Amino acid sequence: MPLFLKEKKSLIVLIALILFQLVLISLQAPLGQEQNYFGKAIFTIFSPIQHGTVSFVRNIGNLWRNYFYLHNVESHNQKLREEIFILQEENNLLQNALRRFKGEKEIQDNLQAIRENILVAQVIGLDASNYFKSLVIDKGSLDGLKKNMVVLDGKGHLVGRIIGPISLKEATVQLITDTESGISVFTEERVMGVLTGDARGRCSLKYIFATAIGISMGEEVVTSGLDGIFPSGIKVGKIISITESDPLFKGVKVQPHFDFRQLYQVAVVKIDSKDLF
Amino acid sequence: MRNFIEISVGIIAAFIFNVILSRLFFSLALPFNFLSLVVIYFAMARGEILGACLGTFCGLIHDTFPLGVFGLSGLSKTITGFLAGYISRKIDVNPPLRSFIFISILIFIELILWIFLYSFVLSERLNIGSGWIFFQPLSTAFLGVFLFRFLRKFKISKP
Repeated sequence: MPLFLKEKKSLIVLIALILFQLVLISLQAPLGQEQNYFGKAIFTIFSPIQHGTVSFVRNIGNLWRNYFYLHNVESHNQKLREEIFILQEENNLLQNALRRFKGEKEIQDNLQAIRENILVAQVIGLDASNYFKSLVIDKGSLDGLKKNMVVLDGKGHLVGRIIGPISLKEATVQLITDTESGISVFTEERVMGVLTGDARGRCSLKYIFATAIGISMGEEVVTSGLDGIFPSGIKVGKIISITESDPLFKGVKVQPHFDFRQLYQVAVVKIDSKDLF
Repeated sequence: MRNFIEISVGIIAAFIFNVILSRLFFSLALPFNFLSLVVIYFAMARGEILGACLGTFCGLIHDTFPLGVFGLSGLSKTITGFLAGYISRKIDVNPPLRSFIFISILIFIELILWIFLYSFVLSERLNIGSGWIFFQPLSTAFLGVFLFRFLRKFKISKP
């Protein structure tokens, strides 16, 4: 090797690595959502380690809870029994209401389809650069997960949807608080808009004309089902502020219902939105 | 082979610590950059070429989970790794105070570079997590000084 190259070897290596990174970045920007094969490969290798670590930590926590906090178990069980009882009553009432419009067999088939297609998953990772963009769950393609499957919290509120990369036992969820997220929603007064995240834990309801009436503080926002991804009627959040700084559109802020700090478990709806009912 | 094992253990340990901290209290993961500590430690021990290569690898791992662009952290850690190896060959950064200042400056440079690249490429503001991220240079340097001294003493005491 020529002497000058030997001396500058480290600089050549640095420049080569920087160029490699720049090419990698330029191939993806401004998309940023679809990862390339290299990214998927790294995700497939490292997400099981994350999964294993979280399981280990959770098991340690469970050990503590099970063996050192036994006096809380019975009261916790009692609360859960009461909650199950209320949910069962609610379920019966709803089924009764549904019987006015559908036959018994059709209702049972629909409910069976829902039971078979709701998958409970644990949250095992968060987006290191922005916690309100995405998270990683411990279910993947082996569990039947695919892109655009809807993700809900424990109370049925919208959390987001499955996006790539999906490995065998892990998947990434795009949160509704991500700026790249866009959901077609209705308010209670049937005012339609598009909900996007502001990357700070809240959402903005866009394309509400300044002249629109029937939109007020505290109003519930639900999915419209018109985007073909999210089924209609899923609660998303509440309107917390309305401003009129723009001459064309109102500035509407929505507080999502799901509590990010309590998001340890989510439900993935495996069925397509148009197949639900 | 031994180098490879040491580096692999370091990377996996850093990854696991990051996961554990972010699960316990996610804002606590922001002030500590464990992967960068691995890069700086091995760059100081083995030189700037290994530092740059390790920075690339660790940065790509860091980029895996966010919904962002693959390569942002890679670029900033590559430069950090190179600088750590290069500067530590020119001046003695082993004394604790010098080591603390050295690591703080490196992590600060990496943070600034990463924030700049993030804002430039994605055209959006970074979530600063109530300001916890700005403690990263000092808290990571503080942790690094103790960790590096412990590891060096452990290596010396081994027969």
